[in-house]
Amino acid sequence: MIDSEEHQKLVSDLGRQPRFIAGREIYLDWEGFFWDPADWNEEVAKILARESGIEVLTETHWKILRFFREYYSCHGRAPMNRHLKEGAGISLKEIGALFTEGIRLGARRLAGLPNPKSCF
Amino acid sequence: MNDRLIYLDNAATTFPKPREVLDKMLETYIRVGVSPGRGSYDLAMQVEDIVEEARKKLARFFGAPDPNRVVFTANATDALNLAFSGLLQPGDHVITTRLEHNSVLRPLHHFLERGWITCDHVPFDCKGFVDPNEILRCIKPNTRVVVVTHASNVLGTVQPVEEIGRLCAGRGIPLIIDASQSAGKIPIDMMALQASAVVFTGHKAFYGPTGTGGLVIHPELDIKASRFGGTGVDSKSLVHTPSYPHRLEPGTINLMGIIGLSAGIDYITQKGLAAIHRQEMTLLRRLRDGLSDLKHVDMYCADDLSNHVAVLSTNVNGVNPADVGDILDGDYHIAVRVGLHCAPLVHHDLGTINGGSVRFSLGIFNTQEDVDQAIKAMASMRSQS
Repeated sequence: MIDSEEHQKLVSDLGRQPRFIAGREIYLDWEGFFWDPADWNEEVAKILARESGIEVLTETHWKILRFFREYYSCHGRAPMNRHLKEGAGISLKEIGALFTEGIRLGARRLAGLPNPKSCF
Repeated sequence: MNDRLIYLDNAATTFPKPREVLDKMLETYIRVGVSPGRGSYDLAMQVEDIVEEARKKLARFFGAPDPNRVVFTANATDALNLAFSGLLQPGDHVITTRLEHNSVLRPLHHFLERGWITCDHVPFDCKGFVDPNEILRCIKPNTRVVVVTHASNVLGTVQPVEEIGRLCAGRGIPLIIDASQSAGKIPIDMMALQASAVVFTGHKAFYGPTGTGGLVIHPELDIKASRFGGTGVDSKSLVHTPSYPHRLEPGTINLMGIIGLSAGIDYITQKGLAAIHRQEMTLLRRLRDGLSDLKHVDMYCADDLSNHVAVLSTNVNGVNPADVGDILDGDYHIAVRVGLHCAPLVHHDLGTINGGSVRFSLGIFNTQEDVDQAIKAMASMRSQS
């Protein structure tokens, strides 16, 4: 049998939770992704970055975050891997290394994009 | 970076499809693409023959005695839903395993949470195999069916279905084998396995198109209709056609898909299942051995590949599996499947429920060069971890 705790975990939704960041109420999911990308701003990104262990976002960080934001704004979805690589001007591996929590939980999350709809 | 995509996600769907399969689909559909089993004109009869030949081919492939009990569905999930809906009654007990895909887990959960059935999920051992005796221990007087995946889509381990079939047959309990990851890779004789039904998909190791699958049913198992409609048979009756395959095939079937599925079976039969399996497993061993030299890479249930299909789950220490997938794709042009692979209980038991794993799955078109590139790419992630 599947025990009740495991059952709850498996069937639970994405855990929409409000948080106050930079004086604003923002809804995040269970992994800290934004429910509404419009809630994002640079101040919020700086706070989330500090929480993830990045004290100061460098120009390279901002270039990547802005590329995510611009791409999402134009296309309504996150960039494909090859577009991200082209847009950032560095490899995916380097992007992953720049953000303490990697590409998905680091760069994408800090850019305020929603959780990808993949089998996670 | 290699410009050519190295496709190592064949457990999701095989890609590319053989040119022969695609040509056959197009050529046949252009020639005879009318409604099968409905009209009395020659072309309708001709296309019905093509569908019946596909049923016979599948019956031969699975060692099934009656081609009319080969039922075409949209995919394996559809076939499993059809089987569960037509078999299970309130108060029934079901035994399945923790290796299952959501195609099994979710339909059963649907019945379970409504209080219609009870269900036991048998664990797998540290090598990725279910112990048939664990299934035996779960059998109750009201056990209606045992459902077991033939090959795990996460671990690649081939389950001891012959022994499970023997235990089930001895107690008169139907065994359904989910052959989504095995059909087309290893021989399946449902009579020898004493299986009551085999579920298959057409778009994986049969090298057919997506949107194809089916249920092969033993003559002694009756599955009630749970969907109703036109069958082209006995049209004046408002009662749904009770005979197989029409009982479980309401509506016009996916003719182009079935043509492709049939051509795919021809393709792998011509190549030889044993030869395909040998080639894929040789590559998988090379991949496993190459990755085993990398201290920052973990592998799951891969020490002994003797009862496996060509699927290997891995993780890179300290790197989110999703990021590994992105790096392999974006930097190395290698396509793999990351995450939970729609098999949450497997990942729960492996301790990988929070991110899943990075799965490599090989197909007929993969080469030694593909595997070596994958090893090289995984090796390069050392500095990240």
